[in-house]
Amino acid sequence: MSIFSSWRKWNRLLHRDLGYIAFGLTVIYAVSGFAVNHISDWNPNFNIENISGTFSPDLIPAGASDSAIAAILLPQIGEKEPLTSSFRPSPEEIQLFVEGNTISANLVTGEVEQKKVQKRWFLHVFNYLHLNHAKEMWTYVADLYAVVLVFLAISGLFMIKGPKGILGRGAWLTALGILLPLIFIFLYY
Amino acid sequence: MKTRFFALSLFLLISASVFAQSAKKYGKEITLKDKTKISSILDKPEDFVGKKVLVEGLIVNVCENRGCWMELAGDKPYTKIKIKVKDGEIVFPMTEKGKKALVEGEVYKITWTKEERMEAAKEEAEEKGTKPDFTGLTDSTWYQIKGLGAKINE
Repeated sequence: MSIFSSWRKWNRLLHRDLGYIAFGLTVIYAVSGFAVNHISDWNPNFNIENISGTFSPDLIPAGASDSAIAAILLPQIGEKEPLTSSFRPSPEEIQLFVEGNTISANLVTGEVEQKKVQKRWFLHVFNYLHLNHAKEMWTYVADLYAVVLVFLAISGLFMIKGPKGILGRGAWLTALGILLPLIFIFLYY
Repeated sequence: MKTRFFALSLFLLISASVFAQSAKKYGKEITLKDKTKISSILDKPEDFVGKKVLVEGLIVNVCENRGCWMELAGDKPYTKIKIKVKDGEIVFPMTEKGKKALVEGEVYKITWTKEERMEAAKEEAEEKGTKPDFTGLTDSTWYQIKGLGAKINE
């Protein structure tokens, strides 16, 4: 076996096995990339639901504590989760925090705004990893993955010999792939 | 092969559980030991401009778009302070509202002209899909904390 064909064999072998290992990460990075690419159109991490309504402020006695107000207000808007904390932005306003919901109420006018927040489970986790919010050890895993991707890109060029390989059709397609970002850099950068 | 695969999976899972965090940390490690009351900063903000502080408070608001700021309730009634972080460097999740946070950061001053505030109100309204409200907008100065590191209680 010549050195050249032995090199080809190892290139294919490593490309194949690293490709298998990179599969899961590639799916995560691709799905998350798609999601955060459209961040101006939607929130890729949370589903936010805003609900406006009213309640009867007359039911709240003067000088009532935040928890006493919550005990009256929460059932009126159908909120079943227990109160976790509260805040008074002004003497007339109250913010009540329950798991997954923030209730802002005006104690004079009776206006209530609810902001229900739910994690988009898979996307939240995918974005967490993709945007490296995990930091710590994940930084090195992501670095390693980047190195593997570069290897897969280079080794992929030499997978096939002949007219469809890098010296034939492959050369044109590779050039096209390099030209595409260059066009956009020229247009927008 | 199967045995090796399961051994490797088990090793990764055990390693992950060892490194798993009990409290949520954001950004850099907190270095200060003494806390500053938010009311002290709000009462005499000029004394704190450019200084590093450690503050604690209830998270009452979080940036909906990028998690790039949050507001902490002050220790006096009806007060709060904004913690602003560099986009993408720290991301505060919206689900942290109503929890207590410990934040280390630097106090800074922002001065905006009336025109700048109108422009910001316009942008904010566009983001929310509402009409901009320009009432009461004048030249103004306010104080925020540039967040460097935070811990949020679960």
